Amino acid sequence: KMAIRELKVCLLGDTGVGKSSIVCRFVQDHFDHNISPTIGASFLTKTVPCGHELHKFLIWDTAGQERFHSLAPMYYRGSAAAVIVYDITKLDSFQTLKKWVKELKEHGPEDIVVAIAGNKNDLGDIREVPMKEAKEFAESIAAIFIETSARNAVNIEELFQKISKQIPPLENPEVESNDSFKLTRAPAPSTRRCC
Amino acid sequence: MAAEDLPSEFDVVILGTGLAESVAAAAFSRVGQRVLHVDRRSYYAANWASFTFNGLLNWIQQYHVNELQDWSSLLEDGEEVIYLSNPDTASIKNLQVFCFTSEEDEKEEEASSSTPTNAAEDHNINADEEAVKESSETESAGNTVTNLLVAIDCIISEHSILYNPCNSPENVPDTARVSKTGSYFYLRLMYSRGSLVDLLIKSNVSRYAEFKNVTRILTYRQGKVEQVPCSRADVFASRQLSVVEKRKLMRFLTSCMEETEEQMAYHGRPYSEFLRDQQLGDNLEHFILHSIAMVTEHTLTEEGLASTRNFLQCLGRYGNTPFLFPVYGLGEIPQCFCRMCAVFGGIYCLRHSVSCLLVDKDTNRCKAVIDSRGQRISCSHFVVEEGYVGPERKRVATPPRFISRAVLITDSSVLSSNSDQQVSLVTIPPIAAGCAAVRMVELSSSTMTCMPGTYLVHLTCQSSGSAYEDLSPLVSRIFCTPDSPDQGNTQNCPSVLWCLYFNITDGSGLETEGHDLPSNVYMCSGPDGGLSHENAIKQAEAIFSKILPDEDFCPPAPNPEDIIYDGDATASAEGEDKEGEDKEGEKENQDKLEEAVLTEETVQTATATSTLPSG
Repeated sequence: KMAIRELKVCLLGDTGVGKSSIVCRFVQDHFDHNISPTIGASFLTKTVPCGHELHKFLIWDTAGQERFHSLAPMYYRGSAAAVIVYDITKLDSFQTLKKWVKELKEHGPEDIVVAIAGNKNDLGDIREVPMKEAKEFAESIAAIFIETSARNAVNIEELFQKISKQIPPLENPEVESNDSFKLTRAPAPSTRRCC
Repeated sequence: MAAEDLPSEFDVVILGTGLAESVAAAAFSRVGQRVLHVDRRSYYAANWASFTFNGLLNWIQQYHVNELQDWSSLLEDGEEVIYLSNPDTASIKNLQVFCFTSEEDEKEEEASSSTPTNAAEDHNINADEEAVKESSETESAGNTVTNLLVAIDCIISEHSILYNPCNSPENVPDTARVSKTGSYFYLRLMYSRGSLVDLLIKSNVSRYAEFKNVTRILTYRQGKVEQVPCSRADVFASRQLSVVEKRKLMRFLTSCMEETEEQMAYHGRPYSEFLRDQQLGDNLEHFILHSIAMVTEHTLTEEGLASTRNFLQCLGRYGNTPFLFPVYGLGEIPQCFCRMCAVFGGIYCLRHSVSCLLVDKDTNRCKAVIDSRGQRISCSHFVVEEGYVGPERKRVATPPRFISRAVLITDSSVLSSNSDQQVSLVTIPPIAAGCAAVRMVELSSSTMTCMPGTYLVHLTCQSSGSAYEDLSPLVSRIFCTPDSPDQGNTQNCPSVLWCLYFNITDGSGLETEGHDLPSNVYMCSGPDGGLSHENAIKQAEAIFSKILPDEDFCPPAPNPEDIIYDGDATASAEGEDKEGEDKEGEKENQDKLEEAVLTEETVQTATATSTLPSG
């Protein structure tokens, strides 16, 4: 039996670049033009196999808190990976990538895996961000780079596969778990819930 | 990140991101109210805040004094204006910072920075705007440890929040490490039972936060720090108690869970008297009075018993002591509630304030607010952190109550044990007549608030003088500082590397009624001196039920696995392409979904409650 490992992934990027569409496509293989991301979803989950482990992604959306640049530090806590999304048809959204990278450096964990996703690549004819430039930028910060289309289901699975591969396998599961815990309904005084 | 305009109409506008405001925000948003939640500061959680070091530096750069602007041109007929103030100026005073570095470490420091530093710096800065501006300018260019410490000092003195660095120049000479990990937070523990824990669990906000147990309770007596045996296991394992004492203590703890006639006879008389008559002996009396009930010599028996019971009921729920500590600090908790609010559509805007309220003269209701950009935003209700309201409009206890606080970074634990990752609560009875009892919390690096090899220590008591006057005598006794009276005797004491003293307004001083405010404006207070968070939760709940008496307060959010994007339903609302209507469509779906979740969880909660052990 394979061990399930929960991995928190946080999404970053300007409003409207397709963060929620990417999650929605990945988790439910569904695309909606007008999906409102913030309908009570604390995070969405999907489990994928990776080597000898199962990776259960807990994908956190910004819940709109990025709109006025008011993401809380707790959003980044404990993330194994971050996906920074821009829209290939909007140069602005690429230019703000650097700000998101900076913010991630500041608030995110040190060993976080960073992926940059150029979304909406189905709209190649109105592209404003050359792939080469984005790729070079990603390389300069040692980030995964991929262009995606949530609408056409292009490279979404691949994005998360790439992340999975970059997550170092657990050497010793005992070491990883510290004794912090979440509060749950059924109090378990003897068996502490580890995370 | 573009500077968008805010929508101009909300049901509830909330100013300030402290615990009570954030809980209220989550509650309103959760039941479908349109919430705008803003804070003048660049960070969440107001006086409950947590910080990273870099966050602090950015804060300096972003800081601008907002001039009072005249928005009277935006007034409509029959309206008058109430201006709001800066929340940070009044809540903190008497701030002093000391940095103790040894000669040797200084050389290392100087090697990495060009700025020399004094072995012990004593900054006693008053909230003098000119001075602060000057110093933050001089320091802003630097990026060295020394400069950073001075910079913190400046900020705190002017702006009043309290931060404790988790790294010290002494232990962390390389600047890279310092700027990476520093974390500052406002100390609070949580009882493992009580309104806050219940609410976290009920609302599913608990998903967002992780906790640690306080691993031991200590007390300071006759110049020594000792462990308090409080759980059954502790009592049996204790080496400082005699067999007779163990039996007595167990018998007492068991018997006090139930109200007896004997106890009733002591009502109206001091708890200390009751304890003395139980013939427990000095040791046990001390433990029970100061560390378990955490009351004073004068506390009445009924109150003392209630505290004792509360303590015992919280024991064993998650660990060996009744206390929890949120990993990264309590500042995480308001953020978690804010996220819940956002997840249900609440709009967040930091660095954004409300300059004034527009009040209808006839109805005495706040019709709209003017934000710091001069936008008129109408709202049905306005919730505000106490600090934003000028003193002339609110009723507070007289004389105003303050809490004295000290924050230290030390190099070792006050009581060494086989683990260097203890999280300890230390109860310290008054060291002299007329002094207040002090509560001390010592955090290790496992709480993510300080560097490995250092400890973060908070001391808190009710103010009688300045924080320095109230707490420094104790600090110099328990720890090794240049002020320590007997240097020879302090060899084994932890050394203080850095410390900070300040006074902060006691949130419990705010009266519940009688403020001169429009009828639809509600005020929330800041943190108080106690260990429970009942106050903040109660405030939020009271405001919520006043506005929406028939709605459930923070019902559970659905589980991630249960959320299904219903393509068709959304598509039907989508045609209108109107935000409001879209939302309503979604809400409906969601409500249906939650009904199922709710019933299931109500059952769970009910069973959980009935099976909880009582001691």
